[in-house]
Amino acid sequence: MVKKLFVIIVLIGLAVFFYGMLSSFSGNETLNMSAAYYAENGAEEVGAANLVTAIVVTYRGLDTLGEVTILFLTAAIAAFFLKSKDNFSKRKVKESSELLKTASSMLVPLIFTLGIYVFVNGHLTPGGGFQGGAILASGLVLLLLSEPLQKVNSVLFAVVESISGLFYVGIGVAGIFLAGGFLDNSILPLGEFGTLLSAGALPVIYILVGLKVGSELSGLLTKFQETQEEN
Amino acid sequence: MVNLILINPIYIIGIGLGTAFLLGFFKKGKSVAWALMLAALAVMTYISFTWLWSFIFNGQLPEQVYTAGFKPPFSINLLMGKSEAFFTFLISFVGFLGGIYLFDKLKEQGTHAISVYLILIMGLNGIVMTRDIFNLFVFLEIASIATAGLIVLTPDIKAFSAGFKYMIASGLISGFLLIGIIFAYYFGGTLNIDFLIQADLLAVKGGVFAVFLIIIALLLELKPFPANGWGIDAYEASPAGINAVISAASAGAVYYVLSKVLPIADAKWYTVTAVVGMITFLGSNLMGIKQADAKRMLGYSSVGQVGLLLVFLGLSKQLGINFEFIVFGIIISHYLAKAGLFWLAGIVKTGKLKEWGILRRKPVLVFFMGTFIFALLGLPPFPSFFAKWTLVMTLSAAGMNLWVGLILLGSLVEAIYLFRWLGYTVKLDDNKELSLSTPLYKTIPVWVFGLLTYYIGYLSSTMVPGGSSLSMFYIPLAFVGVLFIVDKFLPVLIKNTVSIAAMAYYGWYYMADLTEFRMLFAIIFIGGGIITLIAGYAKNGKRIGFYPFAMMMYAGLAGLLLSENILQFFISWELMTLGSYILILRGKKSMPHALSYMLFSLGGAFLILAGLGLAYASSGANSISLDILKNVNQYSGLIYAFLAVGFMTKTAAIGLHIWLPGAHAEAESDVSPMVSAILLKAGMFGLVVLMLSMGSQSLGGVSLPYLLGWLGAITAILGNIMAVFQEDAKRLLAYSSVGQLGYVVFAMAFMSHLGWLTALAFALNHFVFKALLFLAIGGVVMRTKTKTMYEMGGLIKRMPFSFISVLIGIIALSGLPPLTGFAGKWLSYNAVIEKGWYFQGFLVSIAGLVAFLYCFRIIHVIFLGQPKDKFKNIKEAPLPMLIAQYILIGAIMLFSIMPNMVLKPVGDFLIQYFPDGALQWQGGTAISRLGRWSGVAIMNITMGIFGIIFVWLLFISRKAVKVKPFNIFYSGEAPSRPELTHFGYNFFAPYKKAVGFLVQPLVTRFWYGLADILHSISDLVRRLYNGNGQTYAFYVIIFMVVFSFFTIGG
Amino acid sequence: MDFGQIAVSVGFLLILIGVWGILTQKNIIKIVIGFSVFDTGLHMIMVGIGYVKGGTAPILDGAIAPGTAPINIVAGIVDPVPQALVLTAIVIGLGVTALMLAYVVRLYEDRKSLDISSYEDLKW
Repeated sequence: MVKKLFVIIVLIGLAVFFYGMLSSFSGNETLNMSAAYYAENGAEEVGAANLVTAIVVTYRGLDTLGEVTILFLTAAIAAFFLKSKDNFSKRKVKESSELLKTASSMLVPLIFTLGIYVFVNGHLTPGGGFQGGAILASGLVLLLLSEPLQKVNSVLFAVVESISGLFYVGIGVAGIFLAGGFLDNSILPLGEFGTLLSAGALPVIYILVGLKVGSELSGLLTKFQETQEEN
Repeated sequence: MVNLILINPIYIIGIGLGTAFLLGFFKKGKSVAWALMLAALAVMTYISFTWLWSFIFNGQLPEQVYTAGFKPPFSINLLMGKSEAFFTFLISFVGFLGGIYLFDKLKEQGTHAISVYLILIMGLNGIVMTRDIFNLFVFLEIASIATAGLIVLTPDIKAFSAGFKYMIASGLISGFLLIGIIFAYYFGGTLNIDFLIQADLLAVKGGVFAVFLIIIALLLELKPFPANGWGIDAYEASPAGINAVISAASAGAVYYVLSKVLPIADAKWYTVTAVVGMITFLGSNLMGIKQADAKRMLGYSSVGQVGLLLVFLGLSKQLGINFEFIVFGIIISHYLAKAGLFWLAGIVKTGKLKEWGILRRKPVLVFFMGTFIFALLGLPPFPSFFAKWTLVMTLSAAGMNLWVGLILLGSLVEAIYLFRWLGYTVKLDDNKELSLSTPLYKTIPVWVFGLLTYYIGYLSSTMVPGGSSLSMFYIPLAFVGVLFIVDKFLPVLIKNTVSIAAMAYYGWYYMADLTEFRMLFAIIFIGGGIITLIAGYAKNGKRIGFYPFAMMMYAGLAGLLLSENILQFFISWELMTLGSYILILRGKKSMPHALSYMLFSLGGAFLILAGLGLAYASSGANSISLDILKNVNQYSGLIYAFLAVGFMTKTAAIGLHIWLPGAHAEAESDVSPMVSAILLKAGMFGLVVLMLSMGSQSLGGVSLPYLLGWLGAITAILGNIMAVFQEDAKRLLAYSSVGQLGYVVFAMAFMSHLGWLTALAFALNHFVFKALLFLAIGGVVMRTKTKTMYEMGGLIKRMPFSFISVLIGIIALSGLPPLTGFAGKWLSYNAVIEKGWYFQGFLVSIAGLVAFLYCFRIIHVIFLGQPKDKFKNIKEAPLPMLIAQYILIGAIMLFSIMPNMVLKPVGDFLIQYFPDGALQWQGGTAISRLGRWSGVAIMNITMGIFGIIFVWLLFISRKAVKVKPFNIFYSGEAPSRPELTHFGYNFFAPYKKAVGFLVQPLVTRFWYGLADILHSISDLVRRLYNGNGQTYAFYVIIFMVVFSFFTIGG
Repeated sequence: MDFGQIAVSVGFLLILIGVWGILTQKNIIKIVIGFSVFDTGLHMIMVGIGYVKGGTAPILDGAIAPGTAPINIVAGIVDPVPQALVLTAIVIGLGVTALMLAYVVRLYEDRKSLDISSYEDLKW
């Protein structure tokens, strides 16, 4: 109880601090220097209709590479210590309901399609590689929920993950030789603004990201599934 | 210099990541994956190396690397400047060697672990190079997640719980960092660090919150005390190979980040950084004292070292142009030493410090362990020494004495546990049940870093101001180095001969033209050194580890005499300390004594360093010549006091003496004379230099020489009284040295001609007879295998030559005519009467009487009385030891007959310092204001009287009955305690009853009490680290909230 | 108060709740949930910071059609940078959460306990 009191006191201190921050925040009337630059030049320089994507993949492409790396890391770490149980598919689980099974067999293809759509159109509409990849993995979640004992081909995930990662780095390096620097998207022609084949290498990168994120999350999920022992 | 082709630094990241992704194809081929990783790390190292090379040798300018083809602040850019090249090189290089070291662990965990390791190194490189604050956050996350993953490379429950705690704390920290970053973006309109610095966040209302969060989060990443339990636990749990990388590379990277980001704030934040650093440095080292686990202890030490770096960073403005050099020295030492020690911890495997004895199976690894520990503690010739030296000089010149004091204090605390650990390793049992894993892939990294420590030390020595004068150490240290290399292969006979020859040559070639008191000390140091080495021929085998360190000690002693500036002087002082520490540590039961010797010596050395720093500042901070002591303007009393106390840790003045008896008594038979007869004089030499340069000074209205006089007198009497009650012969002699150095200090404190003549003459005398006595007793101990006097007796018949040595030694010691000691006494009485210090003089003459008691005891109990059965067939001491003794006896005789040989030249040069009251000489007769004295006459008279008495004694005892021991011992009873049957046991019991209260071990109790208090505090404070991840997270939040109150007032 | 300020206030509140959870809950899964709450608050703050009064999504297709003069784009959209950052932050948060849960799985496998005080092997 004493401990909780301490926590409360410290939290009050923290709250006071946050209040100070909050009161110093007065909202924005206009875009600041950086944002204004992106708004003015983003369309022309990168050629992506979605300015957020332009920033994520090109202007701040190194962050995105880093973030892909983090997912890769978590998947890799979990993989080396979550040792798969050989008998995970022999454990007894309650039969999934008919409703879930039917729905998942109908929905999963749709979900996968949606995921692919989201990352392929990442430079035009809201969404992108991460979102698309996450949608792909959510399809897998549904599959696993309906068939908990199902064996998933995790080797496939690993291969897709590695290939898309390598290509991503490769495209980045190509930017040094063919364009203005690492991860420059103008190694491919920018194309006609607003169409699917525009924004240079940006859609390619986002597709790779989508595949990579999808396979990494799926790999992680499979790993969790394979370590289960209990019913 | 050669031009290397520069490679775009972005490839460091590209290659790291690309290879990590590529490894996914090698799930089965783990060795291939490992090799690929090493190749990638090698290339990354090489890229940084090309840059570093060009920056250093070819005047390369820093280069911006743009990504995405746009310029900052709109896209992320990296910077490759000199610092970046340096840090990335360090990171990738330790990553490469660490990768080799981790061969087995990485292979065991498979390809995934290998890519995580590679990404960690890549991420750390990114942290260093990026100039975008959000990108920095991303790389920090990469590094901390990879670290969390590698903690569990040995997947046991401890590792997982440590990893979980690590993630809780680092998750919170990065959360706060992100809030700070987004607010910085809001107030500054950019994420680029350079533009944020220009945006001057602190000028904007509310910007202070952003600055606060960013800086506090980065500080928290550096694991400040006490909000660092999560980091410490991780150090304990993770494999040593990973710790090496975390400690050497991560700490450096995050430190560099902080230094890169700190310019967004103002001076106040620099102070905050320095304060946090200091608290961490002191707190962590305090915690280190109570640790029993190697990795955890090294964890505390790592955190402490980073704290020290924070102090420098915070004080960077005050350190000015020396900042870079200081940080370089400390970082590189920490880097090499910590990685090396962690690697050794992985080789030893056992966590328990007390089981490190097994490392002795590989002596070269012990050697490197010592190297790393010395490097961490800033001893010469390692880079941190030069950094610390420059630091103290710079801070003193800036008048920041409190900081100097705290830094030296923290270092001393760190020395406690590191030297204790070294002591355990060198002395404690080698537990045969434990195994040592020394495959090549584990030892090679240790070798590389060990050797680099020396090389970088050499480089640093050329960079330090005054560094060119250090070439005087090259030849002696090169000789020491050669001895190290051949140590394993050559027998004593060769090494001893070579050492003697080298010392003789060095003395003749470099020291023959020394003058004045330097010449006198040269005779003691070099001449004495050679004589004691002659005794070393008595040893068989290889005596591994003796000669290099003995020569190091003598190199230091010689260096003291040849020094012309304070840097040379201080390095010599430290070399001598280091060498002698190891010599003392070699003794049988010397572990605790060697530790206390080292701690007192280091404490003394730090006082000397602080004193020299003050003197440097006080004389205008423009010269490091030894002469600055003559030109101090300010703090003269303090400087005098610091230096005097520092030097007296070596002369073992009362209060600072507790290390001496153990250290001298437990040392080997020919080491005891080295340390007792020769080494103590180094402290005296320091006092001589100090007092001749600075004259009399006073502190707080009290004349310091007057205090020294009292201190000397008290030391003389108490040292002698303590000697009387010893049962152990070598201890007796050791305490006697304490007392006799008391005389020296007493006589010097007169600051008069006769006083100094007494002191200097006595120094020479003391060297001769104490060396003689220690050698003679050492010979006896060698044969009897015991140091306890009551176990001996009647040895005169079996060891007559040793008996004569001791006899002459004690006559000289007790100041009886006709031998040299008498000359000293005669002079000192003259001096006392002149000065009028009657009471102190009375104490000292009592001390002289007391000396008779122990002199009598040592010769009587050991050599006279009834011989014991077990020593019936004992042999005389080995010939080499006897030769050494008889050379010394020759010296005593010569000096006794012709005292003018020494006194006259000494008096001659003393005239320029103390013109008043010099002795007049008529041939061999000295004339003072009070009387006259002739060595030859005294010798003749005394020998005459002695001869008459001796003959008469022979005459009256011609009918004496000879008894056998059996006739008088036991009377048929079996003794319960054998010592009670010997008259030599508790020989002076009546006196003990009378004056025993004087020699209660009050001083010992004081120091041990202090040590206990330190331990108790350490033990109490470490309860903060209760092992609960939630508590650790709580500390992180408290740390933040508390500092927010201090810095932005809530 | 505009939307931005509301989002930021709620964000701070969520962070406080998250920290409360992290510091007081004994169950390690609940601690991980605390982190999720914390992260959510963080993300709300980030998005709220980028809000511009009257601005629309920074995508040049609907309200701001392709070909709009740059000056009008500047006037019409909210700040795209925090949105880009929050994407990265979300993914990192996801990674951390996943990894923490993986640790929880391992911890639970070993000791069959979810109480954080069962894992105090290393201390002092």
